[in-house]
Amino acid sequence: MSYTPVQLLENWILRQASDSGQAWLDTQREAVATGDLKSLYMAFGFAPRKIGKADLQLTERDYNDAAEARPGWMPHTWTIDQAARVLLLMSLPAEDDAAFFVTLEKLFQTAEIREQICLYQSLQLLPHQELFDDRLSEGTRTNVKSIFESIAHHNPLPMELMSEQAWNQMVLKALFIGTALDPIEGLDRRVNPELARMLIDFAHERRAAKRPIPVELWRVAAPFADEIALEDMKALYASGEQLEQSAIALALVSTASDEADDILKTNPEIAKRAESGEITWRDIAQQAY
Amino acid sequence: MKFIDPHIHVTSRTTDDYEAMAKAGVAAIIEPAFWLGQPRTNVGSFQDYFSSLVGFEKFRAAQFGIRHYCTIGLNSKEANNEALAEQVMEIMPLFLAKENVVAVGEIGFDDMTALEEKYLRLQLEMAKEVDLPVLIHTPHRNKKQGTYRSMDIIEEHEIPPHLVVIDHNNEETCEEVLRRGYWAAFTIYPKTKMGNERMVEIVKKYGPERIIVDSSADWGVSDPLAVPKTGNLMLERGVPQEHVELTCYKNALAAYGQSGQFEESDWLTPEPIDQRTLFEGNSVLRGGQAPRVDKPEDDRIIQ
Repeated sequence: MSYTPVQLLENWILRQASDSGQAWLDTQREAVATGDLKSLYMAFGFAPRKIGKADLQLTERDYNDAAEARPGWMPHTWTIDQAARVLLLMSLPAEDDAAFFVTLEKLFQTAEIREQICLYQSLQLLPHQELFDDRLSEGTRTNVKSIFESIAHHNPLPMELMSEQAWNQMVLKALFIGTALDPIEGLDRRVNPELARMLIDFAHERRAAKRPIPVELWRVAAPFADEIALEDMKALYASGEQLEQSAIALALVSTASDEADDILKTNPEIAKRAESGEITWRDIAQQAY
Repeated sequence: MKFIDPHIHVTSRTTDDYEAMAKAGVAAIIEPAFWLGQPRTNVGSFQDYFSSLVGFEKFRAAQFGIRHYCTIGLNSKEANNEALAEQVMEIMPLFLAKENVVAVGEIGFDDMTALEEKYLRLQLEMAKEVDLPVLIHTPHRNKKQGTYRSMDIIEEHEIPPHLVVIDHNNEETCEEVLRRGYWAAFTIYPKTKMGNERMVEIVKKYGPERIIVDSSADWGVSDPLAVPKTGNLMLERGVPQEHVELTCYKNALAAYGQSGQFEESDWLTPEPIDQRTLFEGNSVLRGGQAPRVDKPEDDRIIQ
């Protein structure tokens, strides 16, 4: 049987919250449902004090239920106060999309860091998501890495909503600030020539500054690699560290071009491991960060 | 020795100050909402300012090993712009419940106008509603009168004195503030408020109970190391260490700890790095910046 996101959040909170926390949340949700904004603002702020800040204790089954209720939803890092806050937001009357937008923006504009993380993760479950594409782009301009990651990682909305320009900036910034690309949903689906060009330029900048090139870069750059980029990969494949060689092999395998094959032949042992699935992007990301 | 500076406006200071404070032993600070030196002309300026107090500044301080807390309030000077004050009161519920907010403040009197009194009273009621302590700013001019009047009003609103810090005291006001049961805070601020030699004498005379030392360092000529400097001067001049600990650390912890948002364990046993939040090192150690290295570097080289 499948559940709605609201039912899932309610169940997860019910498992972990105290009776008093649960009662508090019920009362606040009722007040918010009447459109009482002061109640929303206060309850949104007080949620961690009333209901705790523990991680949600979720099972594989819960993750599957989540993905079924909302494709792309991965509540792996969610906490109980986050779940409570999202339920409060989902209680807010939403018929008037302009008013809903204004209220959410007010919360975004006044949110502290944990609240911003919660809000960016909440949008995937809220109505009128299409109104928030600029908000997502604005969020990626943050200088706080954890906020950036709440948008970029385990969140289907950038893939679904962002313009190509905003998407490209998000991927480039992820590399720039040293956060993983692998948790970006839709990463391989939304590769494009302009993004590959930006990343190859970035790789050249890094090389000129004698700084290391993030290994995940090749995953996105390789499908549109030009001659110069292929030269770069060839050089790294010959003399880079093991993680770099593995990443280059995996990137070249996926492009399936003649030039890529020629490079792969120079180190058939790693190429074989990449082809057989022994090396994965997830492993590479985990080792890299 | 560890110090708390329970009244400092770090938003107007640089990261160099944070580094120096951490080195001098300052573990935690409280930044009371204040004015900017020039009046704000619209509510948006307040909103962004409050947001920085509960968000970015807390984050920035953590990167230098200092726990940052704040108080939220409409200051007395700007209470005189009634149209603006009304809008500020409307957005305060968005901020009072934030995690690092330990009091409503700094509120009180500047010119002692009717509007200042109106918003002092409204904010005292708000503090009761959200169950937070109160930080009272006492005026530069007509200080004694302003201090006494503030306490009278607090008593009318039936807020118990143990929940209220009266700040910027001097030799003239502290006896009455302590007699009535309030926390009496002192600002070590060059030239204008309290010097630290005077502060040593006050602690010697009145003892350490309910006395709190702060710097109020801000955009003016002021010293972000005022609390550790005063603590060290007290020790040098024969004040017992436990009295220094009370006035420069423990009393502030007890007073603002009543918010439930200000606990020693926050800085003595910091939470582990958590990618979802902002705890120490998250950005510094893993971001685009160079990691902090605990050995002296050649400061002629910029990498």
